Amino acid sequence: MQDGKGPKGYHDVGGDAAGEILMVELPWLHWEKQVEAIRGLLGDGTRRIVSLDEVRRGFESFGVEKYNTLSFYKRRLEAMTDILIEKGIVSRTELDRAIEAGKVRWPDLDEKS
Amino acid sequence: MPHDHQHGEHEALIIEDEAGNIEAQIIIDALQQVLIGKGLLTAHEVTAAIAKLESPGLHLGAKIVAKAWTDPAYKSRLLSDGRATIQELDIPVTEARIIVVENTAQLHNLITCTLCSCYPRSILGQPPSWYISKAYRARSVREPRQVLAEFGLDLMQDIKLVVHDSTADMRYLVLPEPPHDVERYMISELQTMISRDHLIGVARGVG
Amino acid sequence: MTRFSAGDHVQVLALGKEGHVRTPHYIRHQTGRVTEYCGTYLNPEDLAVGNTSGRAVELYRVAFLQRQLWPDGAIPAQDTLIIEIYDHWLRSVKETENAP
Repeated sequence: MQDGKGPKGYHDVGGDAAGEILMVELPWLHWEKQVEAIRGLLGDGTRRIVSLDEVRRGFESFGVEKYNTLSFYKRRLEAMTDILIEKGIVSRTELDRAIEAGKVRWPDLDEKS
Repeated sequence: MPHDHQHGEHEALIIEDEAGNIEAQIIIDALQQVLIGKGLLTAHEVTAAIAKLESPGLHLGAKIVAKAWTDPAYKSRLLSDGRATIQELDIPVTEARIIVVENTAQLHNLITCTLCSCYPRSILGQPPSWYISKAYRARSVREPRQVLAEFGLDLMQDIKLVVHDSTADMRYLVLPEPPHDVERYMISELQTMISRDHLIGVARGVG
Repeated sequence: MTRFSAGDHVQVLALGKEGHVRTPHYIRHQTGRVTEYCGTYLNPEDLAVGNTSGRAVELYRVAFLQRQLWPDGAIPAQDTLIIEIYDHWLRSVKETENAP
């Protein structure tokens, strides 16, 4: 029920019921730093290609399923990728091609998934 | 594949498993390669940007607080213009403004970002996972005293609790109360007494 | 000259906007008191769709009584919440009895 307060995004959780806080300290992994670094560079004064506001709009609109099942940095990565494709900076095809080429460098991939 | 990490009543926190992390590494490497191929990035820039992201941390927050505790003029400037005063210590602040909120014997401050994960990253580095979790973001505004109790802080009823929701361009740092015998310590000792949890507001007493 | 100053009593509007907004659901329709003017910034609602040429908007910090926001909780009367709200989400209201 909205109580006439307008749309409520699935990310807009202030005041929602929720369980206990899991106080785990997770390490900050290299790929996660890379996501942040690249986002920051693409948004800097020389490029202005993707802003933090656009990334937020990205994960706020890619659907509640994705939002609830992707980890924090995965959401950022997904949102950033979506926007780059949306803007025609990269194409889905060339990205997929690069991903496939990258998988070749991880020979044990099938065993791990 | 990510999996839910649930312990009884804990709100689920999505944590990538090994395959998920490898997959993400492959994707970001691929994206980086494509962007480099288009002349939008260089590998050197990415490496340098990562180093910059890694350098801030608790030690910078502790430096600011210990200075404020031992230099009243500095503290006064800090409370009036956080960003400029922090930059006096050669800490490069990238956020638009830093608001430093002071704890007193009668007042306690708690910081949150209900909409996402806003945090003073250029000073403290990345926020802890719990700060970004749905459970913290949802409950920190509605039942902050219960949240503090979960962190082991039972705030007395007569202490006013102020919760700050970082919804826009401001970022926040809590200035905890100094230990009652602050003049006995060297600045370096004071710095070791300050934890990241003090600066967010889920811990209160120092020393 | 900003529209609001510290001490002003304001109400948060429910603008009914779709898309990226930075005014959380829980604070809409609530009345509080401006604590400070934070500066004037580009509107994130514009920036989120790549528009950097929109009008800049004044940003304020506004304080609310927790007891008013969450009437079902057993919350001490003096506890408050302070949140950043953009000018176009605010309107002036008459002084309320229970303002923080």
